[in-house]
Amino acid sequence: MYALNYVKVNSLKEAAKMLASNPEAKLLAGGMTLVPTLKQRLAQPSHLVDIGGLPELRGITAKGGTLTIGAATKHHEVATSAVVKKAIPALAYLAGLIGDPQVRNLGTIGGSVANNDPASDYPAAVLGLGATVVTNKREIAADDYFQGLFATALEEGEIITRIVFPVPKRAAYAKFAHPASGYAMAGVFAAQTAGGTRVAVTGAGPGVFRWKAAEAALEKSPKAGAIDGVALDAGEMNEDIHATREYRANLVRVMAKRALAKLR
Amino acid sequence: MSASAHKIHAPAMRVEDARLVTGGGKFAADWNMRGQLHAQFVRSDRAHAEIVSVNAETARKHPGVKGIFTGADAVRVGYIKAPHSLAFAGINGMKARAPERPVLAHGKVRFVGEALALVVAESAAAAADAAELIEVEYRDLPAVVSPEGALANGAPQLHEGVVPGNLALETEAGDAAAVEAAFANAAHITRLKLEVTRVAPNPMEPRACLVKHDPADESYLFHVCTQGITTLRKQLSAYTAVPEDRIHFEVRDVGGGFGQRTPVYPEYCALMIAAKETGRPVRWVSTRSEGFVSDAHGRGNIIDGALALDRDARFLAMRLDWINDMGAYLSPASPGHIRNTTFCMTGVYRIPALYAHYRVPLTNTTPVSSYRGAGRPDIAYVVERLVSQAAAELDIDAAELRRRNFIPPEAFPYKTPTGSTYEYADLPGLLDKALRLADWKGFSKRRARSKKLGKLRGLGISTVIENTGAGQAAKDEVELELDARGTVIVYTVSKAQGHSHETTLAMIVADALGLPLERVEVRQCAPGKQQLQGNHTGGSRTTVGAGSVCHLAGLKLIEHGRSLAALDLGVEPSQVEYAAGVFHTEGSKRKIRLGDLAKKGAVSVVAEGKFGSTFPNGCHIVEVEIDPETGATEIATYSTVDDCGKVINHTVVEGQLHGGIAQGAGQVFGEHIIYDPDTGQMLTGSFMDYCMPRAGMLRGVNTEEHPTASKVSPLGVKGVGESGCTASLPAVANAVVDALRPLGAGHLDMPMTPAKLWHAVCAARKGGN
Repeated sequence: MYALNYVKVNSLKEAAKMLASNPEAKLLAGGMTLVPTLKQRLAQPSHLVDIGGLPELRGITAKGGTLTIGAATKHHEVATSAVVKKAIPALAYLAGLIGDPQVRNLGTIGGSVANNDPASDYPAAVLGLGATVVTNKREIAADDYFQGLFATALEEGEIITRIVFPVPKRAAYAKFAHPASGYAMAGVFAAQTAGGTRVAVTGAGPGVFRWKAAEAALEKSPKAGAIDGVALDAGEMNEDIHATREYRANLVRVMAKRALAKLR
Repeated sequence: MSASAHKIHAPAMRVEDARLVTGGGKFAADWNMRGQLHAQFVRSDRAHAEIVSVNAETARKHPGVKGIFTGADAVRVGYIKAPHSLAFAGINGMKARAPERPVLAHGKVRFVGEALALVVAESAAAAADAAELIEVEYRDLPAVVSPEGALANGAPQLHEGVVPGNLALETEAGDAAAVEAAFANAAHITRLKLEVTRVAPNPMEPRACLVKHDPADESYLFHVCTQGITTLRKQLSAYTAVPEDRIHFEVRDVGGGFGQRTPVYPEYCALMIAAKETGRPVRWVSTRSEGFVSDAHGRGNIIDGALALDRDARFLAMRLDWINDMGAYLSPASPGHIRNTTFCMTGVYRIPALYAHYRVPLTNTTPVSSYRGAGRPDIAYVVERLVSQAAAELDIDAAELRRRNFIPPEAFPYKTPTGSTYEYADLPGLLDKALRLADWKGFSKRRARSKKLGKLRGLGISTVIENTGAGQAAKDEVELELDARGTVIVYTVSKAQGHSHETTLAMIVADALGLPLERVEVRQCAPGKQQLQGNHTGGSRTTVGAGSVCHLAGLKLIEHGRSLAALDLGVEPSQVEYAAGVFHTEGSKRKIRLGDLAKKGAVSVVAEGKFGSTFPNGCHIVEVEIDPETGATEIATYSTVDDCGKVINHTVVEGQLHGGIAQGAGQVFGEHIIYDPDTGQMLTGSFMDYCMPRAGMLRGVNTEEHPTASKVSPLGVKGVGESGCTASLPAVANAVVDALRPLGAGHLDMPMTPAKLWHAVCAARKGGN
């Protein structure tokens, strides 16, 4: 790690101020991606602005057909929350699949969504449920928020404060974990929402995406078999030493079918 | 075994457990010295290049920096000849071509991660900062990372003039003519080309080393991860010409070794230069990332194998053509994993004719060394894959083909065609027990049930034997020291890295002396007792060697005590009886306790022994279930029957087996070091990409023992540390291949990842089978 300044702020406002006056400052919530990056000297922020403990970023509430989760809420809290389990059990299930117990007790939903790792789990749920990412400046629809590999709609100094999920009729997540890292090799979040069935895919491509051809097929028939022949371009998938594009495309289809089967 | 030792041992706690599970262990990085400096190595970021210049001017001026050392310093002090033990003769009297390896690379770098400069500073952060300021100018050279590629014509040459054709050694074993004749008359020949992949052993504790130089007598004190000080001391001395009696150690706990913590590493010698020239102790703690590229790798063998059978499916001959990748330099422990493949080449079978040919290339990769089993799992993998493949080709039950070709019990001691003498093995008994335990006959029903659930079920078996014990040391010595409280301290120069020596060796001594376990304390590699001779812990040899000597030492202490007690009692020693820590003589009520003998000062005895190889053997049977939609494999059941001779502690033996089995299965399913073929960069340099096995992979092991006592040592034990790995590597692979066989799929190389298996399923289905 390079030498840096660590600042634990007492309010969101203070955090925003720190970011504004220090262009090389970085937010720290759970640190599950940032800290390993720092340890390897792959990043050199001037300041770490710790927002992990801010009460205004914590908490889980269900009200009027929505489930709201504070940005600094830890994966373990989501995985075990009775409120989440009642409103969107698939989301609690997904949170319980992230990393390992140590990661789940430190990592936060806001950190995961802000980082937008192409293989992390939360983006699939946020996009699959058509959630709203709320920041200290505005509200961003999931469809506008995720912009590919580690890219998001967040602007400089913008801080995620909470994620607001519309409660779906039903939702399910199916994940095939990467054998080494445990991240998603392919993870598919399927949700029956007011606007139809949404199918969001993480891990397989360069960023989380909606499999719109599958969604269209499901409009006609809600059965898992409906996506059997639906086009999925393997050329759009990632390929590396662990898996070919074809394998990842296959996993997307298999995981999608398994998620859809769970919807019934 | 005395009832006392077992009673106290029960149920499953080891002597060392309380310390280790409560964070009380002291590992290499836990040592600190007043005035210590912190070390940071600068490592090559390319696979093959000339070093044009190393400019450390700016780095030297960085605040806190106390010294910077480069290859020029390594050459100046003469630390350039890495020891190696590839000492056996090659074909036509060829001798191993051993390149020099300055402890900091000089002139050239030959693999990514090779250390070429060392910075020492007042803080770790200052050393790391300064290391980044060192400018290295390289002239890139083409790299070769594949061992077959390294042997090809026109391949980039790693060590011009010293290792022509990158061929460090070409050697052979067995009788080529006899094998050729047998193949000519064979009714069936099974052929397989196999790869035993390159892996990173990855002990839990990263490497660390703290060195202090004492100018008064030019000696060095090391706190370092080690599998035993004797081998490390010898190799440090060989590398640096510092006499062995000037190299001292203080070590406590070691968090895993698997062979990787045995040898000397260039980094340790570079730290010696820094400690001497700065006059300050120097401390280095490796990161995991450094460990991936600079700790010795394991396995890395490619084998072309053929097994010839007669009309009755009896084995006639086996021919193996090996390519043993050694990486960029010969590691100090490099011969083990080649040599061991000859010792047990015939496996558990009567194969009248054997021939193996070895080519040992150097490549632009991290050096390869001994790793759990050191060649034993490799040869078991080759033989057992060939046998299961032959069974499939001939449509003979895999267990039946094995039984038909076993060395029969009456043929022991059995001299193998490659010169080993197996002491004894009850192979039919072992097999019968394992087949029952695994319900071999019920497999087809279970396969049908899996099929209904859409899964492919496979059955794998291995019957293996391996050489354990022996060792390079002239003898194993153990000292017992008895104090006035009647406590016996056991001193040994072997070193557990998780092996439970503090429990097992204490039980052996406690049993010999008839004492409760808490009266015996084991101290390994203790300061002041480092003149004792003995083998390091490796090659499944500590219980066979040091353990047997512990037993002898216990008996010697009784004899010594008997003469002391006789003086006291005024009788002849022969009139003194001993039991449970007390001497007495008939007709006298006086009792002399062990501790009484030490009232005027500790009583000490040193015992020694030198024992040959023991040959533990076992049968492992595995069932796997593959999800053809994803290629994911689960181990459904795992059954083992092992003969490791007399068992001292059943829990410890089971623990060794479990760890070994998981390590073998982990390699079959995922562990694999991959280099980019063009750039020579390591693509699996972190746990994000290097697939370590998880505990959930192996959810249960049904274990039964089938002990037959060894006569090699007075204890009757055989080694067990590597047995699990030796047997699991082929058994698990056989099970996976068997699961896909009904689809028409053939041999698959490890790692058998979900992606690879899914492609194999697709290819087989497309093939119309």
